[in-house]
Amino acid sequence: MQADNKLLKDLTPEIENTSYRWYAVFFIFLVFFAIGIYGLIQQIDKGHIVTGMRDNVVWGFYIVNFIFFMGLSYSGALISGVLHLFGTQWRKPIIRMAELITVISLVIGPFFIFFCIGRLDRLYFLFIYPRIQSPITWDVIAIMTDLVGCFIYLYLSFIEDFAILRDYADLNVPEWKKKLYRILSLGFTGTEKQLKILGNARTIMSAMIIAIAIIVYSVLAWIFGVTLQPGWHSTIFGPYFVIAAVYSGTGLLIILMWIFRKIYHLEEYITRRHFVNVGVLLTVIAAFYGYFTFSDYLTKWYGSIKMDSILIDKLFTEYYSLFIFANYIGILLPGIIIAFPKFRTIPNITVAAAIALLALWVNRYIIVIPTLETPFLPIQDTRPAWINYAPTWVEWALTIAGVSIFAMLFMLISKIAPIISISEMQEKDKEEILH
Amino acid sequence: MIEIKKTLPIRIILLSALFFTTLCGLAQEKEKITPTVTLQYLKNSEDQRILHAVLTYSKDRMEIPLQGFGISFFKGTGKELVTSVVTDSKGIATVEIGKDQKLASDSKGMWTFSSEFKGNDTIDACTAEVTVKDVILEVSLTGDSIRTVTLRAFSLENGKEVPAKGEVVKVGVPRMFSQLPIGEVTLDDSGSGSLEFPSDLPGDKDGNLTIIAKFEENPTFGNVEKINIVKWGIPSDYTKPTVHRALWTKVAPRWMIITLTILLSGVWGHYLYAVISLVRIRIDARKKEKEEHRL
Amino acid sequence: MKEKEDNENAHSSRRSFLRKMGIGAGAVTLAGIGATSLVKSNESGSQSGTTIKLLTTDGQLVEVDKNDIRPAKELLAEKKSEARAGLPNRKFAMVIDLARCKNARKCVEACQEGHKLPKDHEWMKLYLLQDDEHTAKYWFPRPCFHCDKPMCVSVCPVGATFKRQDGIVLVDNQRCIGCKFCMTGCPFSARVFNWKDPEVRLEEGQIYDPETNIPAVEGTVGKCVFCADNLRRNELPRCVTACPMGVIFFGDLMEDTVTNGNETFRFSKLMYDRAGYRFREELGTLPSVYYLPPTQRMFPVERGLDDADENIKGRYKSAGPR
Repeated sequence: MQADNKLLKDLTPEIENTSYRWYAVFFIFLVFFAIGIYGLIQQIDKGHIVTGMRDNVVWGFYIVNFIFFMGLSYSGALISGVLHLFGTQWRKPIIRMAELITVISLVIGPFFIFFCIGRLDRLYFLFIYPRIQSPITWDVIAIMTDLVGCFIYLYLSFIEDFAILRDYADLNVPEWKKKLYRILSLGFTGTEKQLKILGNARTIMSAMIIAIAIIVYSVLAWIFGVTLQPGWHSTIFGPYFVIAAVYSGTGLLIILMWIFRKIYHLEEYITRRHFVNVGVLLTVIAAFYGYFTFSDYLTKWYGSIKMDSILIDKLFTEYYSLFIFANYIGILLPGIIIAFPKFRTIPNITVAAAIALLALWVNRYIIVIPTLETPFLPIQDTRPAWINYAPTWVEWALTIAGVSIFAMLFMLISKIAPIISISEMQEKDKEEILH
Repeated sequence: MIEIKKTLPIRIILLSALFFTTLCGLAQEKEKITPTVTLQYLKNSEDQRILHAVLTYSKDRMEIPLQGFGISFFKGTGKELVTSVVTDSKGIATVEIGKDQKLASDSKGMWTFSSEFKGNDTIDACTAEVTVKDVILEVSLTGDSIRTVTLRAFSLENGKEVPAKGEVVKVGVPRMFSQLPIGEVTLDDSGSGSLEFPSDLPGDKDGNLTIIAKFEENPTFGNVEKINIVKWGIPSDYTKPTVHRALWTKVAPRWMIITLTILLSGVWGHYLYAVISLVRIRIDARKKEKEEHRL
Repeated sequence: MKEKEDNENAHSSRRSFLRKMGIGAGAVTLAGIGATSLVKSNESGSQSGTTIKLLTTDGQLVEVDKNDIRPAKELLAEKKSEARAGLPNRKFAMVIDLARCKNARKCVEACQEGHKLPKDHEWMKLYLLQDDEHTAKYWFPRPCFHCDKPMCVSVCPVGATFKRQDGIVLVDNQRCIGCKFCMTGCPFSARVFNWKDPEVRLEEGQIYDPETNIPAVEGTVGKCVFCADNLRRNELPRCVTACPMGVIFFGDLMEDTVTNGNETFRFSKLMYDRAGYRFREELGTLPSVYYLPPTQRMFPVERGLDDADENIKGRYKSAGPR
């Protein structure tokens, strides 16, 4: 298979040679990652006492990060799944990025559960003594299913590109990479029959990805929803978490679009139009998300069951600024940027997406922590750590390490595969895609 | 005559125990432990006479049992040795006074028993004594819709029955940890009395209940009990509390397993389709390669 | 963590050591368990006539009859399956008389001592509650409620916590993975987590028993066990016998009887006479612990703070608004 030479060079900027900048950035992330590993070693050595979690707030940063990273994986489900099904053309340059976000965040997310578990050495008990009644078991099954599905889907979308890279004679890469492309392309040559089989498989899998993504995140929400805790015991949690996840995934996609556009000079392929389109999508999702948030808190506040009103009191006093940031600024800002055409610049949209993303992390924080700080029986304790949760450096370090490994994995993948799908881009209607 | 001293918070006193205590250890040294031996007399349902001694000492207001020490039991005012028994981990030494043993009663028809701990280098000696009168307790259970426990008690003096008038008999049902009191009967001049027994008490799975009538810590008679087993209880249904399939049991509810199976087979079936598609692409590519070779 | 692994590894090294001595794998022992603990005479008391030499942990060579030897691993498994089944034909319940409680904390101390808990672990917890500013304060001892629909058991992913036929909910801390889901599942904050190594080790010759949860293990969950080990010996739970006021009653609902050691009542009559209730009935977990409302109190509520040390007093600066 042949591709436009320029297209190929533009879209695979890091495959042939590695820049110093790449090494420098990678090293910085590696240092952050190493600090996280040191923190983890401390935690394994000394026990969970090194974290800020105690008997009342038994889940802290780790669970928040877990939900957050799992949520990011929605960008793939949305962009590649939904938009694929609807045959949207403009999505093509960003489809690959979205899929990579999905798989990478899906790999990182569960590690935060591992950090949260007291006996990591007994993790395999989940498989040898499973109880189907536990939402954690549902989660284990769902995440594994999701991971496998996303890998298959990602691979399906990569085959054509691997075939192009394999057939591209002038590519200046080591022999092992060429061999890798040869194996991974499965001998795909782009015959009509092959394209038909591949197309069918991709359509089926994109539908599956959407379904399983909804299930995974609902199951995650039910870990909280099935308990009796005030603030968690809510029927709306399943869909609420799903929409929040789509929101965060879309936000991250905009940020990554901006970063890759800047670093790899992809201005020609990722244009303002893409930012505005994804930005509009972000606003629509923000509206849904805001609606769910409002509906959840309104019923709690209006009905004012005692425990609920204690919780809402806490949210509007101790957690006031976080609450306002997460549930007002984080929801309204993207809408304001998109609503006025003159605000719709690439940096503005990116900043709005970044703030929305941060707000979503905070949103998860104020879902998890305040509830655990208001148990049915009041916390009567003299130990401050038992009354209020405060993350320690270990938790911060591991959080930052999670972000670092996300970036590092992205950087590594950009060394062997195109970050924008070549095959999608070289189709005849290229003009239509870009303008 | 008899010094009665209730010791500190021993809360559960063994079933029908009489409690006569004598503190002893006159010339105590500084480090020496001052123990207490309590002696109880029990005549049980089979007319066995049992002496029950507990050897303890008090430390920080806690009663601590002394294990592995010999307690000697004596009968009569003349202190005729019956036997010697070593205390167990709870400080208890028990001896049965066989029916063949001759018991000398004093002028009032009272029997005297005593127990003694000889002491050693670190523990003082101590003794205890009980004096009781033999009593015969008769219990009859009658009635169907209204159930009545009828009691009669008398002692024998020179072959004549002397009713135990004015004495209190307690009626109870033994349960797992303690005895559930049903009521108390004060015997009338003829030494008789009766008590209505509740009809709604749970028994075992056949409805059997154990009913104990007894003189408890009676200053004259000591502990005397009569046990009857009767079908007066409501049969307990033990099957109720065990659920096989529930959220909290080992086995999951059926709907859960079915739903999970449907979901998983649906999703993984589609995955299988995708993988088969990949295989088909590979096969197709192979075919192409071979054709090219031939050309 | 390292130490624990060592402990477990010692298990297999001991096995190989015994093999070297020419003793079959049947005589495997867990580290820290002397040969004496292996000796458990058969009910039949049969003697095989052949004796086996065993090395105890304190380095003594002892000779025991072959039939008397039970591998510790087997004993542990037996103990665990016994602990999982529970006592047959029983349904245990606790009744707590709030009118008698004066925060003496003897129940907490006896529990901590009996289960070798660190001082900051309280399976039995004492709350000072006040439902509303216009209602009265009262002391509220809270053990595990051993619910009949236990949320903690429902959410456990590995079956480490379980409900027995006698109604008791226990934790097997050799199974627990420490996910803490049960802690968020329990609406009564009854569970505690071992955030660090509790530094409790088994005594010579002891085996881990879920009925006492000794020894506690770092990274796992512990909670009140209704003193299931005592119940097996027909003895009352430690908190019941320790309470100087007789606040806590315990018994078998199949027998409709509860006792605090001194007084024994028919459970149903006590509920009727004293308007017994369960805490937060509306949550539907069906607790096995019942409360008698603090009517005609034996002590003024302030008495509970008289003998308390500063740390305890600090806890109750404000009564809970529940």
